[in-house]
Amino acid sequence: MNIREWALIAFTILTQMSVGSLLVLWLAHYYVNRKVGMKEADRLSDYALLSLVVMFGLAMVASLFHLGNPLNAPRAVTHLATSWLSREILGSVIFGFLVLVLGVMQWRKIGSFSLRNVIAWIAIIAGLALVFIESRVYMLPTEPSWNTLATPVTFYTTALLLGSLAMGVAFVANYAYLQKKDPQSSKVQAELVRDSLRGIAVASVVLLGIEFVAIPIYVAYLSVGNAASLTSATLMIGPFGVVFALRLILAFIGAGIFGLFLYQSARSVGEEKTLGYLAYSAFVLVLVAEILGRFLFYATQVRVGI
Amino acid sequence: MAKQLAFHFDSSACGDCKACQVACQDKNSLPPQMMWRRVFQYGGGNWSPENDIPGLFRASGVFSYSVSTACMHCQDPICLKVCPAEAISKRDDGVVLIDQSKCVGCRYCEWACPYGAPVFDETRGVMTKCTFCEDLLAQGQNPACVDACPVRALAFGELDKLRKQYGNVDAVEPLPSDEYTHPSIVITPNRHSQLSGTGTGTIQNLPEEV
Repeated sequence: MNIREWALIAFTILTQMSVGSLLVLWLAHYYVNRKVGMKEADRLSDYALLSLVVMFGLAMVASLFHLGNPLNAPRAVTHLATSWLSREILGSVIFGFLVLVLGVMQWRKIGSFSLRNVIAWIAIIAGLALVFIESRVYMLPTEPSWNTLATPVTFYTTALLLGSLAMGVAFVANYAYLQKKDPQSSKVQAELVRDSLRGIAVASVVLLGIEFVAIPIYVAYLSVGNAASLTSATLMIGPFGVVFALRLILAFIGAGIFGLFLYQSARSVGEEKTLGYLAYSAFVLVLVAEILGRFLFYATQVRVGI
Repeated sequence: MAKQLAFHFDSSACGDCKACQVACQDKNSLPPQMMWRRVFQYGGGNWSPENDIPGLFRASGVFSYSVSTACMHCQDPICLKVCPAEAISKRDDGVVLIDQSKCVGCRYCEWACPYGAPVFDETRGVMTKCTFCEDLLAQGQNPACVDACPVRALAFGELDKLRKQYGNVDAVEPLPSDEYTHPSIVITPNRHSQLSGTGTGTIQNLPEEV
């Protein structure tokens, strides 16, 4: 693994996390807006939206480190007719642009809520399409360990799992900031953060369940395939067995155990500090688990042929 | 069918001398780690101990043969299809070329090609591969690998004509099945050759040799 391959890990994880984050952020924003109005909804999500723009910006920068000849990077969108990679680059640019537009409209309060709502949902749909396109990039007929349903399934779970927990962190961090600035008016926000985090906790436990069903089926499927696919399965449980185990354990602790604690602590009033620690820990654990998972995705790839 | 240039490789004649590989490196000024043409030695079988005489082994089905490979200038080149920058093209004579001035160096074609034909040039940051010695072809000469073979195991010509003359074999171990790209290669098998997918042997080369 060299810098070019780490660039791909960073790019795919960050783009997927951004897509999941936008979905979770906007669901929370929408819910809060209906419950207590736009002012509180904006207070909850405006800084979180900023973190999302930064996240996606980093993804785009990371992608350049993958190229041997970055000066030609604009050429990478020229072969849309048959290349999924071209479509991925274009999809990323479109999603990034929409997020930026939404961000500027939110911060400057341009347009009505319903207009911003429409833009947000267009961006979310573009993002979900981007995750699908990203999975198709890897589904090459000559790459049996990538050319399975597991690729889109794991890309979407990564998006939603990391997106949920990243926004969990953004909400508690935002709350801590608001409380410092104005302790009086942050009471409403405390309740909204608790509501959002309960939803996030439930989502992370469910998504962990999906991951824990998909991964064993995937490894079993590889081990009954052709020679290249069998080699991938052997690499996964043999030489990379420790990484594989660590990836599962960290995801289990982060999304499962911390997810349950998160839910528990988000139910009781006045535990904002604990809630913060839990949200941070769950996110960091799952982020490491997902990075290890993506590392394995590339490290256990075996192409057919010579 | 449109014109399609192809290599013919006679595995029954090849003696694994690797002159084609060296000629390719030389003609194209390639450093040792960049190989556009590679000669694979594929072999298998085993040695069974003789019961009465300790330390004596008898060969049982031991075999070995060689396959000289380069870009197959495929009829359905997957590298061309996946390239995001339109840097790979197929000429009217079927030769597949990479335009380095358009290449972004993403190495996606390297993941896609089942023949390992595209090779990354670390110093320039772009992909390279066998050009069928297009410069020599233009002067009416043969590709360097063809001329270097001491036993005339390598030839080139019109794919249709080569097929008529030498048959339809285009996939022997360790090559992949032809289904992915329809390679423009005509192989005269060795008497030991195993068709792709039915192999009982392994690649015998050291990893750094291929």
